[in-house]
Amino acid sequence: MSLPLLKRAADDGVTFVMTPRSGVPAITRRREPDDPPRMPSRLPGPGEQYRFHVDMRRCIGCKCCVVACNEQNGNPAAINWRRVAEVEGGWYPQTARAYLSMGCNHCVNPTCLEGCPVDAYTKDPITGIVRHNANTCIGCQYCTWTCSYGVPQYNPERGIVGKCDMCYGQLQHGQPPACVSACPQAAIQVEIVNISAWRTAVAASTGGHGVPIADASISTTRVTMPDGLPPDVRPVGVGEIAPQHAHWSLVMMTVLTQLSVGTFVTIWLLQLLAVETRPSVAALGSLLVAIVALNGATLHLGRPIHAYRALRMWRRSWLSREVLLFTAFAAVASAYAALLWFDRPGATIVGGLTAALGIAGITASGCIYRVPSRPSWNTTLTPLQFNLTAAALGPLLAAALGAARASLLSPAAALLTGAQLVVMAFAFLRLIASSSVELQGTARLLSTTLRHQFIARGVLLAIGGIVLPLVVTGAAGWWSALAITLAAETLGRYLFFASAVPRHLTAPYLRVGSEAVCV
Amino acid sequence: MRLMRLLGFDTQADRYAYAVDPAVGFVSAQKKPDRWVPTTCGYCSVGCGMFIGVKDGRAVSVRGNEAHPVNRGMLCPKGLSEHYTIAAENRARYPLLRHNARFSRVEWSDAIETMAARFRRVQAMHGREAVGVISTGQLVTEEFYTLGKLVQLGLGTPNYDGNTTLCMSTAVSGYKRSFGSDGPPGAYEDLERADVILLIGANIADNHPILCRRLEVNRSAMLIVVDPRVTKTAMLADLHLPIRPRSDLALLNGLIHIVIDREWIDREYIEAHTTGFEALCESVREYAPDRVAEITGLDVDMLSRTAALYANARAAFIGWTMGVNHSSKGTETVHAINNLALITGNIGRAGAASFSITGQCNAMGTREAGGASGLPGYRKFESAKDREELAAIWNVPVDRIPSARGLAYPDIIDAVLDGRIRALWIIGTNPVVSFPNVNRLQEALARLEVLVVQDGFHPTPTSALAHLVLPAAIWGEKEGTYTNSERRVSKVNRAVDPPGEARSDFEIFLDVADALGVRDELFPAWSRPRDAFEEWKRVSAGRLCDYSGMAYEAIEQHGGIQWPFSAGDSDPDRSRRLYVDGRFQTEDGRARLIPVSWEPFPEQPSSSFPLVLNTGRTVEHWHTRTKTGKVPILEHLSPNAWVDMNPRDARALRLQSHDRVDVVSRRGRVRDVELRLTETVAPGQVFVPFHYAEANANQVTQNVFDPISREPNYKQAAVRVERTAR
Repeated sequence: MSLPLLKRAADDGVTFVMTPRSGVPAITRRREPDDPPRMPSRLPGPGEQYRFHVDMRRCIGCKCCVVACNEQNGNPAAINWRRVAEVEGGWYPQTARAYLSMGCNHCVNPTCLEGCPVDAYTKDPITGIVRHNANTCIGCQYCTWTCSYGVPQYNPERGIVGKCDMCYGQLQHGQPPACVSACPQAAIQVEIVNISAWRTAVAASTGGHGVPIADASISTTRVTMPDGLPPDVRPVGVGEIAPQHAHWSLVMMTVLTQLSVGTFVTIWLLQLLAVETRPSVAALGSLLVAIVALNGATLHLGRPIHAYRALRMWRRSWLSREVLLFTAFAAVASAYAALLWFDRPGATIVGGLTAALGIAGITASGCIYRVPSRPSWNTTLTPLQFNLTAAALGPLLAAALGAARASLLSPAAALLTGAQLVVMAFAFLRLIASSSVELQGTARLLSTTLRHQFIARGVLLAIGGIVLPLVVTGAAGWWSALAITLAAETLGRYLFFASAVPRHLTAPYLRVGSEAVCV
Repeated sequence: MRLMRLLGFDTQADRYAYAVDPAVGFVSAQKKPDRWVPTTCGYCSVGCGMFIGVKDGRAVSVRGNEAHPVNRGMLCPKGLSEHYTIAAENRARYPLLRHNARFSRVEWSDAIETMAARFRRVQAMHGREAVGVISTGQLVTEEFYTLGKLVQLGLGTPNYDGNTTLCMSTAVSGYKRSFGSDGPPGAYEDLERADVILLIGANIADNHPILCRRLEVNRSAMLIVVDPRVTKTAMLADLHLPIRPRSDLALLNGLIHIVIDREWIDREYIEAHTTGFEALCESVREYAPDRVAEITGLDVDMLSRTAALYANARAAFIGWTMGVNHSSKGTETVHAINNLALITGNIGRAGAASFSITGQCNAMGTREAGGASGLPGYRKFESAKDREELAAIWNVPVDRIPSARGLAYPDIIDAVLDGRIRALWIIGTNPVVSFPNVNRLQEALARLEVLVVQDGFHPTPTSALAHLVLPAAIWGEKEGTYTNSERRVSKVNRAVDPPGEARSDFEIFLDVADALGVRDELFPAWSRPRDAFEEWKRVSAGRLCDYSGMAYEAIEQHGGIQWPFSAGDSDPDRSRRLYVDGRFQTEDGRARLIPVSWEPFPEQPSSSFPLVLNTGRTVEHWHTRTKTGKVPILEHLSPNAWVDMNPRDARALRLQSHDRVDVVSRRGRVRDVELRLTETVAPGQVFVPFHYAEANANQVTQNVFDPISREPNYKQAAVRVERTAR
């Protein structure tokens, strides 16, 4: 079988056209009769696209695909656009192990594309390949979370993410992707899928039969499962969970914006309730915190200089929305602070707008983390906890900067911090009670490797947010309460990132006790 | 630049650019070579054909050779990343001489003169045999041939062996005694043509992955895998026989018992081509199914089924590797395999073979030409006729050729310990990681007056102890031939220059010969490997391993040629088998049926050491990781050693998966290894990969050896597993 030579037309808007083979000499493979074709002999038609088929019956877990992919793309060893997961079930000697090799699933509705704030992703109209544009990407890494399969990976050396593009360039030269060519067992193939038929199949899927469990993105990868996989099949090596990347710039950015928003909301409420208040210093201080936090956030980007591009996709990306809302918040908060400083009228209305934008911004922050790829984040508790961080910290900064009398703010601070502690305990109970391997993994991290940090957070929160506000007096007391509570919340946010065990690679395809529900 | 990157400018765009290569198509620009150099893989003995991509004098990529009959373009993960070994940071670059505790760089001439002088001094004081040589399976055949001649005739010591004794000597002994000569009789094609394939102690899915493809092609064959562990290969099997550790010999005798009992034998073949059938019948009488079931842990039905499948196959193939060889009963187990194949007539036909799947890329080459455990061309030390023949070709007096084999590897180490050997030359191997009960070996190395280590890498745990380090070129930097498991001679080529002042082993050997004053006599006018190859062809002519019809160019052109290929032979592409006519290499031309008996393995578990340790490999790594440990992608995929344990044992020990544990035996302790709980090992057994110097399984293995082949009984050490003390 000769492979089609696919060529991208230069300028006529048609992405792929088939051209006769010329120029590049063909590789003629001696193919054994049992080998399935490694790629189709034609382009996808209307309503069709290319996809991977992974035959777990053939796979021997040699990881040639991983090595070949890294060589093809010149990636460093730590970045693997194709990965191999291992599952085991049964009892000696009736033991079964199986290997699932995964690149990009080239989804029908790619969630990487949906979440990207700069529109760096495109879905190729002819082949359906999900492509990433290295020039557009700003390295925000949001797609590493919005993708339910952990496909895009951040390359710190280059400051952007990258991902499997089914060796688009190789296809253009009439050759299969590197992983497909390198597989000694012919266990990976490219094939054509009818998209609407696949949608129907996925919608009906309950997992475990080679069709992915229905989710927002609809992976197109088809998996042929081994025969007679035992019912207790489980991922190999899930107990071995290391703390994840801490994302310190995001820890600081989220906690400080929440501190700022909490303080503005406190000031505004004090004003609204018409109690005796001296808010101008507190507002100015809080504004400074917001400005530091928002500028600091760009340090999280691999390409800070292109940060402004993040505003672009606000219609569909929570990250764009967060950036937009916080930018607006900072602008309106500046006006609010100015009105308070110069004691001009209209401050209450502008303050209300500031508070509303701030809370909306925090909620948008929370929604960023509502992703199936990180089961420990994917709960309404996330935006709730973010808002409670604001609620616990705001009164403390307001009090420290002398916005109002202690008797008024201390019960509020204690109450709100108490709420945060209750939610923290509830969230931990949810982890322990869960049967999902990822949530159990998070619980295991919090109770082993990260145990000291986890306990410290609870204790600091209780001291700084509840005990101190109720017992201390004077600015120094408030400042220490703020410092301790801020440390507690920073630690809490560190744990939020460090304990987020990613969804197991096989989760969409195998019932392996994973967090299956994705919507 | 760094600031630009931090600001967000794409300073690395060039590094991640793509380009079009005429052979591989669209590929990372940094991997697109200026030229492709054909060669053969330098890891295992499957012998895959490949190309090295060379750009600006550096090896930047590899690709499988689509036209090569062994692998048809496919490579395993080690092969796919083999170019990284060449540029590894731990390459040996300069000759180093130890002064007190420190190495200092010396000129090559000084290094070779120092070596020759010190060897001569030791020999003058303690006798010629006080110098020992331990070589490898990693050199090219031309180098093995040269080294053998240099050691036996030049240095004049018979105490010369290779690390092949740690993996293949059992197969060699087994073949020699059963068939009259070494040489695996089958071909890879047999895996595609057999209708029953019996793999014993062979996890080819991890260790020879490219052979698995043959099983895939031959899906209608019945695959039976004998292994105490549920390996990747066992999982591919139609029938997995999870025998108790080292009960393979009892199983084989039991199968022979059933086959004879049911008259499933090939009586015609037995009568025409074997001797010893009566004694064999007698010896297997005590291996009745009930007893064998008890020893192996298999049920009687499974034994009968296996025997029926094997014996009634049109063509049945037996393949084995280290499960059989790493045993003090290894040679006898190979005899049992050969017995089973012979009495059912499963030798010398397409699909029918008793086939040792070899380990190192050129273990076969040293067996054929190396002159360590036998004289070149599978000649016997003991045979006056063989010695005379060789002396005539070499034009030396026959009494210079030793009439008995010198010490084998483990006996060389013993001889060092009791002072009979004072100087050692170690070439291309790393015994400080690979030798069993390594403490004893380290003690021996510390007693040496002279330790010369010739290796492509430095420091290795072994070269770090040397008095003199000779930096050698490795795969990709030199020319010659490798022979693979199916006796296919393939070409290896020089793609790039060795680093620093490293030289090919061939050049080093000639220089040593020069310094010893024997170069003109032994290697007259030799300057390149081809000179050795031409002489070796003459030495091999008329022997079982006949190279005389081969030439470098033809080998290259045909993707290797299987021996025997004599001057008159045509059709180099045909699959070749030995003993097609039923004539074996014994005096009477008949194969020997050798009665053998099972015994329990030497170190049985006890209350202090209740677990049976099995050692083995993982697909990402090669031997002691000297090479693969420096390949970033392989290290990333498999960075650390581990212990596999059954969850039932872990519960009793109150251990959890990923706990840090020590593995302890009477001899030593492997410290701080990751515990992995898995149902792939039986309760009562544990498995540790042997690649990792930092967690060396050979701290706990036994120095017990096969009495015939001298191969170590690496497996079945009695151990306990305990939590690592913090």
